[in-house]
Parts: sequence; structure tokens; C-alpha cells
Amino acid sequence: MAKNGQTQNVTIRVQRFNPDVDAKPYLASYEIEATADTTLLDALEQIKATLDGSLTFRRSCRHAICGSCAMNVNGRNMLVCNRRVNALLDRRGRVTIRPLPYLPIIKDLVVDRTSFWEQYLRVKPWLIPPENGAAPAGEYRVLPAEVEALKMAETCIMCGACYSACQVVAMNKQYIGPHALLKAFLRVLDPRDAAPAERLEIVGGDDGVFRCHTIFNCIDACPKGLDPTFAIETLRKLAQKRLAFAAERVERQKSLGTGRDA
Amino acid sequence: MTYITGLAHEETITHDVLVVGAGLAGSWAAMTASQQGVRDIGVLSKLHPLRSHSGAAQGGIAAALNNVRPVADSGSRGPLEPVPPGDEPPDSWELHMFDTIKGSDWLGDQDAIELMVRQAPEIIYEYERMGCVFSRLADGRIAQRRFGGHSMPRANYAADYTGHVLLHTIHEQALKQGVTFYSEWYCMDLVVEDNVCRGLVALDVVSGKLHLMRAKAVVFATGGYGRAWKITSNATANTGDGVAIAYNAGVPLMDMEFVQFHPTGLYGKGILMSEACRGEGGYLRNKSGERFMERYAPDKMELAPRDLVSRSEQTEIEEGRGVGADGQGVFLDLTHLGAEKIMQRLPQVHELALDFTGVDIIEAPVPIQPTAHYSMGGIPTDARCQVLADAANTPVVGFYAAGECACVSVHGANRLGTNSLLDASVFGRQAGTAVAEFVLGGAPMQPVDGDPVARNKARIARYVNGRTAHNPQPVTPIAAELKETMTKNVGVFRQQARLQTALHTIKELQDRFADVQIMDKGARFNTDLLAALETEHLLTFSEVIVVSALARTESRGAHFRTDYNKRDDEKWLKHTLAHKDGPHAPRLSYKDVTIFYDRFPPQERKY
Repeated sequence: MAKNGQTQNVTIRVQRFNPDVDAKPYLASYEIEATADTTLLDALEQIKATLDGSLTFRRSCRHAICGSCAMNVNGRNMLVCNRRVNALLDRRGRVTIRPLPYLPIIKDLVVDRTSFWEQYLRVKPWLIPPENGAAPAGEYRVLPAEVEALKMAETCIMCGACYSACQVVAMNKQYIGPHALLKAFLRVLDPRDAAPAERLEIVGGDDGVFRCHTIFNCIDACPKGLDPTFAIETLRKLAQKRLAFAAERVERQKSLGTGRDA
Repeated sequence: MTYITGLAHEETITHDVLVVGAGLAGSWAAMTASQQGVRDIGVLSKLHPLRSHSGAAQGGIAAALNNVRPVADSGSRGPLEPVPPGDEPPDSWELHMFDTIKGSDWLGDQDAIELMVRQAPEIIYEYERMGCVFSRLADGRIAQRRFGGHSMPRANYAADYTGHVLLHTIHEQALKQGVTFYSEWYCMDLVVEDNVCRGLVALDVVSGKLHLMRAKAVVFATGGYGRAWKITSNATANTGDGVAIAYNAGVPLMDMEFVQFHPTGLYGKGILMSEACRGEGGYLRNKSGERFMERYAPDKMELAPRDLVSRSEQTEIEEGRGVGADGQGVFLDLTHLGAEKIMQRLPQVHELALDFTGVDIIEAPVPIQPTAHYSMGGIPTDARCQVLADAANTPVVGFYAAGECACVSVHGANRLGTNSLLDASVFGRQAGTAVAEFVLGGAPMQPVDGDPVARNKARIARYVNGRTAHNPQPVTPIAAELKETMTKNVGVFRQQARLQTALHTIKELQDRFADVQIMDKGARFNTDLLAALETEHLLTFSEVIVVSALARTESRGAHFRTDYNKRDDEKWLKHTLAHKDGPHAPRLSYKDVTIFYDRFPPQERKY
């Protein structure tokens, strides 16, 4: 194992596929030098810079907040920017990087997330405020406990790791999927949102929360430590008492205004 | 409400308004223009919009909401308490304005600053109405924390991922408005003739096709240029494309020598450890464990503005009191804050330090160093985001800019933390309003002469085939050498000889770049080609930065010359404008700073 500053030779196996040229995907092997600090993304950048400039992958922030670089590494979905090579070497000193599974490949490690974004749009990810007049003019009062409940969903970076790990998605692209259900959870639970009934109808429908088989792959895959299954479970319960929940929301919104504006 | 990606055929696309960049500024511009009645709006982003770097902002967004105040007589780093309803508000837009002007070392334009700080509370309430999940006080009001250079606690935050929640919120609202997003489309050229903007040329990354995109108005919101440095907090996307493209189209660049180095980038990596670490009470220590800020800013200590803190760190490092393998860092010590506060208010930086350096900040100090962070300079605009062609403020008709790529200028020589999210939001909205008025007022679709697509196809063919068969140059080493020289010679401390070394290196690299040849020859998702285009842009604006820095023989804000270590208002209280002059070095001109001498006359800047 390399200590800080010391380098070791490692093998990075990368699934390559350019549909314009290749009949099918294949694994290519690259030997690189890695230190204890080298991340999987560093390794990919090094391969691209020195060995093959046509190797193609997405990345941007390189610190786990932009959501670009979710890939499948040694069979598990993760971000490649915040994971170190030497923690992921197999017994033969290799790491294997593939694109996110169950999604069409555009090129090499770049997948087509069209269905992922379509489901995101389908749940109306935007907040729907109370009708004109019912919304306070200035700041709202949202209790720390209410914010705490949203925390689990608001740090989702839409990387797709959960979506492409989900066995239900793999078989049925009509399924809304864990990422969009987590977003729906964020809006349904937000006391400022005025459309919980409409949202619960969408997520409680044929392609929604009742399709989940609670296999927990989404939890395992999430690089931000979030729990889409919990969100799905919560939405299931709320969907069963949709109208009562919506009525509670109307009540809650009566005291949404600030003390100062009142 | 769509994402367009991978069009099968090359075509001319028209919209009333085209916005380039989908971070906070671009999304605000698009959403606002749409709300005000512009129906046909396209937004281009070289990444999916939610990957934009606004999302990486951590600590907060400034506005004098008056929700908390310092406990009386507890000093400038003491505890905070909620302001009881009905009590005298301790903060005001005037205080925010003064802090911003002082932070800017009087180079900020005071009309633009006044507009920004006066709109700040309303912008926060807009985010509130759009569903942004802020951290809260016990009574439900938005929580606020201290930040460097602000005399009151006015950083409104969502833990330490404020930018992330703002970005997702505004993107969702732009979608709700029906805005069309061209996702993974790279703007590579701007079409400006006779000082009128007519459209742009874009590369659809997935298909590799080039498209002429025509519009009545174009808004640039393309972000900053920190990727010209080796140690930087910036995302790989932050290659200053917009500023380079505007410059190539004949628009001058303003105050490019002013680049902020954030004091707390993770050692050797540059990844941001939020200023909120110090806002929540963190210390900076040198290798003897000493809180060295006592020597540089005895009152504000760690909460002095970023330029001052970075210089203090660099002084410690250069005088041999640094930490880390090569002594190029200092410690950020949060161990006294306790696990609960760290996990609640700084969860992201806790994870970043652990993932990238193996340090648990609850248990141990983490080595950090100054990191290239924010671009104060950029495309000159007025407060309505209208791009300006010269020192006489001649407008470039139909061309607008907002956010980090623009220089309006609210940050002058040094930006205060939390003012960038505010700037991007306020001026993104301003740009949206301005283009709506322009378009709804009857602006025509302007004709495009010649064939700008062919011109850019030739540019791509040159990269694919190389200029000559012999001595083809790979892209990556050129970019790497540029970043090396910028970090070494155009950093926190500058001086003539080192700036000249950098300029010489840049010239050499530009020559080498003429022989660049990329390895990936295909059309489909060619990131090798993108890297070449981005590197060309880096080389273009880096020259402007160094030429502007060489000329400015004074020290002001983030631009510190060891050979001219005083601010010189008599000679240099003015903005730099760098104009492209054919193949020659940029031609410099200068422009007055807007100062309300009766209200905020220049003062000595001490903390």
C-alpha cells in the first residue's frame, strides 16, 4: 500500500465503447502510477492526458457536489471524484470502471440520462406556492424540525447512482425512480408547498411508490448517504391519506407568515 | 420545459433570447425574462444545468435580514442571538454597502453596489417563495452567520451547501416557466458586427454538430476563470470561456488582474473549505500552533476579508512557519467547535476533509492553503447588465452579461464572502428584466453576414488535423504549464519580474498551441476537443490578466505587488479595460470608478 507521496503501479480497467466505431463494449486496461491520494477521477484524467485522449467521461466540480461523475466501479455505483484508487483495488491490484448500468451508453463512461431527467420533470420538482394572497409577502416561518425532515432530500445532487442501481428501473423505465421520488418527498413535506394532494396522486399512481420492491440498492448506491427508500415509505403512507394530509397543509399554511409582517 | 441534447442535424436555431450558462445568474435571467413576457428563451450550458458551479458555493448569501445580532459587548467574534421582534434592527443595507465598498478597496462601483444591497433582502424572500430550504432559527426565521469583512452577521445559509440548494431551486423554477435548456451545448463563438450582437455558434457536444444560434439578445452568464491556476477551488468547467469569447469578439475585459485567492483550500488540492468554518468560530494556526492572524488583523482576526487572510497565510508560509510536506500550508483548526456544531452547520466540509485528506476536523486541524477562487474581473457592464464596448460606456447592442463572468463592478478589487451568490442572483434578475424590455420593446432579429459556422469548423479541423504534420503538440501539457506558471507567478503576491516570467511563458505556450493536435478525432462527445477549446480560452485571457497586472503598479485588494506595496488612489483609483488589438498585446485603457464622494469617500482599509 502506498504511503503519502509514494507511488505504486495500478491497473485501471475501463469499459470503452464508441457506437460510431465499436460493435460492442470492451474492457481496456491502463497501467498508471497512483499515490495514496489519487482519486479514481485523477486516474481517469491521467489516462486521458497521457495514454488515450479519446477516453470519455463526465466530471466537473471534483468534490462530490455537481453530480456529473457517477459511474460503476467494481460493480457498485459511486462518484469517482471522492474515492481513492488504493481503497478500491481488488486482489490483483486492479480497479474496474464501467458506465452506470441500465442506461444507454453515449460513449465510454458517458451515459444517456434522458429517462432520468424525464422522471425528474414528471414529479414537478419545483415548489408550488400557495395561491395569490395566501402567501406571506416576506420571510416565512419554517420550524427547525420541519427543515430537519427535508435535509435528507435537499442534498441530493441528481447524479443518477441510485436510479441506475434500481432493479425496478432496470426492468421498467416508466417507474418514476428513487431520485424523482426523493424530490417529490422534498416538496410534499415542505410546509410552503401548496400541492401535496396533486403530488401524492402522481407518486401514488401506477408508476410510483408502490412499484418499489424495497431492495435498498438506492441507499447502497447514494454517494451522499441519503435514504430514498425511507422517502418512498413515507410517501406510501401519505398517499393513503392524501386528502387528510392536504387539509393539514392548508391549516399549516395559515401560520406561515412572519411575525413581523403580521 | 425541456432539455435539448444531441440534435441529429446541423441547423440554424433562433430564439428571442439566448442565455449562455445555467448557474444562478443564467437561470435568474431566463426565469425573469420569461416571467416578464418573453416567450422564446433558450439557455445553453456546457454541462447539465444542475452541474453548474454555483452549486459548489457553501457558506451563505448576504442580506441584512436582521434575524440575528451579536450579543452585546462580546466582541467581533462573540456569540450571536436572535433579534427579538420589535427590537431596533441592528443591520441595514447602508452597512452592507459600506462593508462591500471597503472590501472592494474602493474599486467597486457604488451605484451597482447600492442596487445590489438594497435588493438583497427581497432576493432572499424570492428564494423563500420558490422553496429554497434555508437553515432556521428556533422561531422559524432564516438563520444567519458571520462572514469575513461583514460587520454584522448577514450570511443567510443552508448548512454549508447554500449554493446547491439555491441552484436546484432556481433551475426548477426556470423549468416551471417553460424555459428550454440546451444541455451539454458549448458556446464557442459570439457573432458581433458593427457593435451589434447577432447570435452565437454552439457545439452540441453529444452529436458534435455545430449550430448557428440567432437571437435578438444574448446574455452571457458563463462563470469565472479560476481554472487558469493549478491550485484552485474551481470546477474543471470554470475555464473562462465567456470572457475569452467576448474578448475575441471585440469586447474589452475589465479589471482582470483582480483574482481572489480563498484562504482555505484543502492543502495540495485547492478544494474549498467554506469560510463558514471561520464564520462559525474556526482558527487559523501556523506550525507552532500560533493564531497568526493576531499579527495581521488584531480586531477581525480570522474574519478579516479573504485577500488579507490569504496574504497573511502566504507570509507565514514564506517565512517558514507553514505546515505540510513542502511547508506550503497552514492549519484550519475547528476542534474547539465540537462535533454537534460541526455536523449540523458544516457537514459538507467535514466530509470533504475526511474524503480528500483523511482528517476528521472534529478531532484534528486540517492543512489548508490559499486557492484561486473568484474572478472579480470580466465583461464590463452597467447595472442593467448591458455590456459596454469602451471607457465611454458605448453599449454593445443586444449583448448582456451577469454573474462571475461580468464586471459590473460590485466586488472591485476584492469580493466579500456571500456577496457572489447575491451578485449572481440580483444581476441575473437585472439581466432578465433588461433583455425583456429590449425584446418586448421591438428589438429586431439582426442579420448575420458571412459564415460563422464555417469559421469555427475550420478551427475544429485545425485541432483535429494539426497545423502541420510534424511536431504536433498535445493539449494537456500546455494547460498544465500555464496553470503552473499562474500559480507560481501570478498568485497572492506579485512583482514585476515574476509577472514578466509568466507573460513570457504564456507567449511561448500560445506559440506551441498553434501546433496543437488532439487525439480524439471523432464527432461524438469529444471532450478532447472541448479541452483544446478551453485551453485556447485560458491562454487568451491569462495574457490579459498578466498584462493588466503588470501595468497596475500599486497594491489594491487581491492585487498585491511586493514592488508597489501601497494603494495609490491618485494614479490607480480606476478600472482597467483591456482591448484586443489584433495579434498584438492587449491595449489598455482606463475608466473612472463610480464613487459617491459625499457618502463613501475612499479611506484607509484596516481590519
